Amino acid sequence: MLRTEGVTIKFGGLTAVNNVSVHIQKKKITGLIGPNGAGKTTFFNCISGVYVPNSGHVIFDGKNIEGKRGWQINQLGIARTYQVINLFWKMTVLENVMVGMHSRLKSGFWSDIFRTPAQRAEERRAIEKAYEWLDFVGLKDNANDPAGSLPYGGQRRLEIVRGLASDPKLLLLDEPAAGMNTKEKGELDVTLHQILEKGVTILMIEHDMKLVMGVCDYIYVLEHGQLLAEGLPDEVQNNPEVVKAYLGGDDE
Amino acid sequence: MKSKTLDSKKLIALIVGAVVLLALPLVLPNYALLILSFWELYIIAVSGLDLVFGYCGQISLGHAAFYAIGAYGSGMLHEYCGIPVFFTMIIAAFISAAIGALIAYPSSKLVFHFLSLASQAFGEIVYLLISHSPGKITGNYQGFFSDYINLFGYELDSYTSFYYFGLVCVIVFLVIKTFMVKSKTGRAFTAIRENTHAADGMGINVRKYKVIAFSVSAFYTAYAGAMYLHLTKFINPDTFMLKQSVMFLTMLLFGGSGCLLGPVMGSFVVLLVNEVLRALQDYQMFVYGILLLVVVVAMPGGLYGEIMRLVNFIKGKATQKAEVK
Repeated sequence: MLRTEGVTIKFGGLTAVNNVSVHIQKKKITGLIGPNGAGKTTFFNCISGVYVPNSGHVIFDGKNIEGKRGWQINQLGIARTYQVINLFWKMTVLENVMVGMHSRLKSGFWSDIFRTPAQRAEERRAIEKAYEWLDFVGLKDNANDPAGSLPYGGQRRLEIVRGLASDPKLLLLDEPAAGMNTKEKGELDVTLHQILEKGVTILMIEHDMKLVMGVCDYIYVLEHGQLLAEGLPDEVQNNPEVVKAYLGGDDE
Repeated sequence: MKSKTLDSKKLIALIVGAVVLLALPLVLPNYALLILSFWELYIIAVSGLDLVFGYCGQISLGHAAFYAIGAYGSGMLHEYCGIPVFFTMIIAAFISAAIGALIAYPSSKLVFHFLSLASQAFGEIVYLLISHSPGKITGNYQGFFSDYINLFGYELDSYTSFYYFGLVCVIVFLVIKTFMVKSKTGRAFTAIRENTHAADGMGINVRKYKVIAFSVSAFYTAYAGAMYLHLTKFINPDTFMLKQSVMFLTMLLFGGSGCLLGPVMGSFVVLLVNEVLRALQDYQMFVYGILLLVVVVAMPGGLYGEIMRLVNFIKGKATQKAEVK
């Protein structure tokens, strides 16, 4: 589904991501872990079009997508969430989801300003669909509240559902469980599996090892911008290199 | 059931409002009708600015330029090409929209004060062009004379007829604005204002929508400029200086940006202040400064925002009382 080949990105003299090649399997949850500053989010930004890699390729559905802009990549079917919550604070919860649908709505400028029958029908369907999405993450009752008024866990769930609203093939989640309590994490686990059942592939950065090991089908480990290890959760967990990277080595 | 009674209430309010607006020329003196006509065209100009500033979050200190393009464009198309006045207004507004798009395309990467400087520079360029035009085609500092609006043979030569014409224009422009902001296009504008980075991630072509916002905004303001010319029948470059852009911005911020009624209220209040303080015309910028300070310090949501807060406060009290009972 998504492959990267030797993706490298440099900021001045610093190589943030160095020669990273991954292969994300369709309809699986793939985890991307690693210590802070390992370059995970930078790698995400390469895939989602925020940064253009200095070298290497990002191949999605058989097409090279490196160098495309963020909005083009979203239209191709990759949606994402952000590590720091990036909602449209003053818009309502419902509107946030509807913005997420942007690339799937066909109406254009002229049909919008004259509110043509086709545009009306599409808006009606979009609102219904948005309510369905909100129901999916239990935010239906908050539909008309400003996004900024939601509690933290609700904001995280809204980010996920806003990404899903564009009917993506691949969903990139950047630390979806950050700041969540145990109960919310448990719910997230369930939600992730439900998303998978809808046929959406997930690539997820996450620090919470219990969640990652429980939910992921395959895991990549980054350190200092380089791929340190990969494998099934059990393999990665018992990999001495990974343990060293997380706990610190004796010989350093 | 509850929503039905609310709807009929709204309907009654609407009918009463319409009757009042239609009957005003019967009771008001000519001078008041002139002021109301100005109000109408300012509503359109400021609503245009609201689209780009209030909804899309892009500041512009160059809207006097679009106002000028509308006024001079319409006047010159009539004078030199012999096109009837109403059509010249629409053509001039489209020309302004095209120029707005051309300006917005390269400047769409600029934000905040860089954008305000660029738009201000654009305003100055247009000002210089109309005050030092080649062959004096704009009349330069002597000014430019034009005719009344001609609607298919019927000349709008009285303030009363202009007032009715303006009323129709305001309704059309405000309806289109409402349609636009409550659609995919409008949501894209607001998303860009709220978080440009995330808007890009949601599949919104940020540059395209900034260009659309600027272009539509230029259309609105230019149309208002054309109305201004054909109301007063005379313009000179003095009207299109930086202070006009500042006046539009003051009207918008004082009334409240990012809503339908903010520009309506703001343009009325600032227009009245201008009229009342006509003797202090040299201190106009000073007055705008005070109004803007009031907004920044005391009422960040503008007049409309404060009124809504009050309404919600009273409503909240009412429901509280109901709950206690």
